[in-house]
Amino acid sequence: MVMGNNQIWASWTVDDIHSKADLGRYRIRGISTHQRVTHFDDLTFLSTGLTRFPLEGYKEQCNTRVELGGLNATNPLVLDTPIYITGMSWGALSANAKTALGKAASMVGTASCTGDGGMLPAEREASDKLIYQVLPSRYGLNPNHMATAEAIEIVVGQGAKPGTGGMLMGVKVLDEVAESRDLPPGIDQRSPARHPDWLGPDDLAIKIEQLREATDWAVPIHVKLGACRVADDVKLAAKAGADAIVIDSMVAGTGASAEILLDHSGIPTVPAIVLAREALREIGLYRKVSLIASGGIRNGADVAKALALGADACAIGVAALIALNCNRDIPESNFEEEIGMPAGSCNRCHTGRCPVGIATQDPELVKRLDPDEGADRVANFLNSMTMELALLTRSLGKGDVRSLEPEDLAALTIEASAMAQVPLVGTNKVFGM
Amino acid sequence: MVSLDASEFTTRELNKRIKEIVDDAGSDIVISSPSARHNLVVGIQKECKIAIEGSVGYYAASQLDGPEISIEGNAGWALGENLMSGKIALSRNAGASVGASMRGGEMFIGGNAGARAGISMKGGTLLVAGDSGFLTGFMMQKGRIIVCGDIGDAAGDSMYEGTIYVGGDVGTLGADAKFDEPTEDELIELWAELEAHGINKRPKFRKIVSQKKLYHYDTLERLERTLI
Repeated sequence: MVMGNNQIWASWTVDDIHSKADLGRYRIRGISTHQRVTHFDDLTFLSTGLTRFPLEGYKEQCNTRVELGGLNATNPLVLDTPIYITGMSWGALSANAKTALGKAASMVGTASCTGDGGMLPAEREASDKLIYQVLPSRYGLNPNHMATAEAIEIVVGQGAKPGTGGMLMGVKVLDEVAESRDLPPGIDQRSPARHPDWLGPDDLAIKIEQLREATDWAVPIHVKLGACRVADDVKLAAKAGADAIVIDSMVAGTGASAEILLDHSGIPTVPAIVLAREALREIGLYRKVSLIASGGIRNGADVAKALALGADACAIGVAALIALNCNRDIPESNFEEEIGMPAGSCNRCHTGRCPVGIATQDPELVKRLDPDEGADRVANFLNSMTMELALLTRSLGKGDVRSLEPEDLAALTIEASAMAQVPLVGTNKVFGM
Repeated sequence: MVSLDASEFTTRELNKRIKEIVDDAGSDIVISSPSARHNLVVGIQKECKIAIEGSVGYYAASQLDGPEISIEGNAGWALGENLMSGKIALSRNAGASVGASMRGGEMFIGGNAGARAGISMKGGTLLVAGDSGFLTGFMMQKGRIIVCGDIGDAAGDSMYEGTIYVGGDVGTLGADAKFDEPTEDELIELWAELEAHGINKRPKFRKIVSQKKLYHYDTLERLERTLI
């Protein structure tokens, strides 16, 4: 503590400057932002009392099935739970992790998503419903693979690093990953930020039509946005013809990002959903273009709150990896020795030395993750979240998660009231209106 | 051979009809009156021959794996985007991003190519008889771009691997790109390729390749050094 309790020059700030003085570049880490932001914990549900009656919390039927992207697609994406696994690349994750995630999604009737590196055949085999990402890098993009997908997602930005591309350190770019991406093995890969074939929203409309033509208008086209200028971006994506819009907030996860982007760009999930909802409402496309929220979704309450604010579904990344054993002290691991941090604190995904076999390509470390056991854990977690979601929905007197609405919520802080556009608890006042 | 008058179909109807013909009969197809429409001949993953008589818009002959396409006219942006295999020949000029992220096959542009020709290219050959624009070969990963004429600024910016051959002048080189000299055997091979496309010039090509200085971060953090 060289500067006492100084707020500006806190110990981690001093350490940060020392590190950069040694390093001569920005720092890199995984997981998500360290910023304290308004999140779902700042909202609470106003469950039933005398004004309305509840459904039996543990037993009565509650629909959790949702349909996404039905605006133009012949075959919309139908999910048994409004929670799916977000795009994470084979490369950032091991093949075992990707396979486990796909299998888990299939076990609970939901979807998984490819990532910045193309489709892993084992992932396709494991996934009943696979969303195929089209990213600026186009690594591994194969129209033959895309033709097998249940949905296509054009990635414009990522919440963890909006305005820039992905990153994969050379230690993870081993031969197979390099071949799949057409890259020299061992390079520190920094993906492009812009798509190679289109730039603005007018071009995007033509790109969306191209992907529809390539897939015979059968599957939904999603557009994924890093949550920044949400209202305008959502309107432009919808006008360009997106069937679904994924809003990925500043608390969303990553396997590697410059710290400065993680902590200093984007907006949190709660206001991102509200801004997107209002933008769609303004152009008459709310509940027609599906809205998918991602970033910091940890449990059924987060999902329920996201749906109440206006999302049609949520995508999870970090939570699924934690279910897979991320940051868990398993018998084969020694976090302190192997990654230099205790289990529970690790955000060193970018080093490729993941002690639990998830964020690594090392053949020995990969063995620490059994894809079948991992799939069981993630499926259990997805089922738990879905049960929590249904439990909360019934407690609000509703038999369908699609009936959740902003009126079901109150804010615990003034900031949350302003961002969620719901009243502050104990008042009738919605701040910022 | 099947003739299709594009003016009688919507884009959806035309692409669907083309796929049906390719799937069922495998006949050669001639498309007339394309009227520079976007997204013509998209997403075909079979060997076939298609001739387009006229100019096309954005994304013509894109997302293909196997077909042989000839276009008599000009093309808008992203002609041949993500070509996996097959051949595309354009008689006149191509707009921006021709051959974007192509992974294989051969493309021939009879006129000039716009900005970002061969951007994110991952394989195959893009041959431009005339000039090409700004950021040609941007972030190129593999394959060959052959430009008989001049290239604009930032040529080969941030390219990983692959080679750009240029017969004329270059505005500026992009980040991490450098000039190199082709071997005599390379030149003979290039000239033979030009001749096969009816180009009788023998430009004294120069090569643009990656300096490979941006392959790695120069430094690692203390903890990273022990792990990576």
